[in-house]
Amino acid sequence: MKDLTFVDAPILRRMESESSPVSATGAPRSEESDLVLRLRLGDTDAANEFFDRYAARIRRFIAQSLGAEKSEADDLLQETFIALAEALPFFRGESSLFTFACAIAHRKVLSFVRTNARRAHLIRAAAILEPETRHDVGSHRDFDSALLQLPPEYREALVLKYVEDISVAEIARVLAISEHAVESRLARARKLLRKHLGESQ
Amino acid sequence: MKPELDESKLAVEMTAIDRPVSQIDDPNLKRAFAKRLKEVAARPDVVPIEIDGRKIDVSLGGTLLGAALKNDIRLMHVCGARTLCATCRVVVESGADNLTPMRPAERFSLRWHLSISPRTRLACQARVRGPVEVESVFPLCGELPNS
Repeated sequence: MKDLTFVDAPILRRMESESSPVSATGAPRSEESDLVLRLRLGDTDAANEFFDRYAARIRRFIAQSLGAEKSEADDLLQETFIALAEALPFFRGESSLFTFACAIAHRKVLSFVRTNARRAHLIRAAAILEPETRHDVGSHRDFDSALLQLPPEYREALVLKYVEDISVAEIARVLAISEHAVESRLARARKLLRKHLGESQ
Repeated sequence: MKPELDESKLAVEMTAIDRPVSQIDDPNLKRAFAKRLKEVAARPDVVPIEIDGRKIDVSLGGTLLGAALKNDIRLMHVCGARTLCATCRVVVESGADNLTPMRPAERFSLRWHLSISPRTRLACQARVRGPVEVESVFPLCGELPNS
């Protein structure tokens, strides 16, 4: 039997006693804290459960933040999961699991955008250069093409708020900025999106 | 004139778009994730961190400077790790919460050297509590001349 002294019992107790019975991910708190406990012990079944539960949403977040599909998002998903494997045993339960995972994915995206600025620019440019496939098939496509024209940090904030539906406080944790900064970034992002949408109509 | 889009309407429209989540079928990644998680959890006193892009395993609770020097990453530390020179300062790229909180001596030193920012820490003072990625501000020390 593995030594349980490493597990930070007070933190797990606090997580269980939090007022909201449902976490930002929709999973009940006690269920999530049980998963955290098993992940911290390196349990393989817990790792598989975590993967099945969150991998698809994390990939969607990466793809939407990056504005690119396929290979780049898949590469970053791999990097994110290896970083998660190294970070999860030290997770102290200060946020929900999904927020914690998004924060790591966000850093991977940021590092990718920084180090491959030129490449990222080309990806965006290529996405903008496909108006005929994006503008003539209804509002969904209009929204997506307008989203693609936004700078990555704006797109990321909008995706977290409206696609992943997580709170401003949790977004602040993911992006490592204050809640006030999140609010103003969202406002600027909405303004710019509105401008792009106005242009495409 | 183009119609002005209402902000709340914009939010409602964005939320309403159905963005399907396709299941990830990558058994290799799943296996690699579980394997690495098991490896890291099996050694709770060892933390994987990254300094200047180099991945190293360090002891839980040790300083960043000590960890770097033990792994032959020669961070500058002119004052001998006494918070005076701030030449060991690093920028935390990720995992700032995984370092011990800043104490007054460190805060004073960073302020004195006009380098106070939530992302800057003194490597000689910050102790590792979990995975973190940092970049040194000063260039690393060169090789010692042959004696």
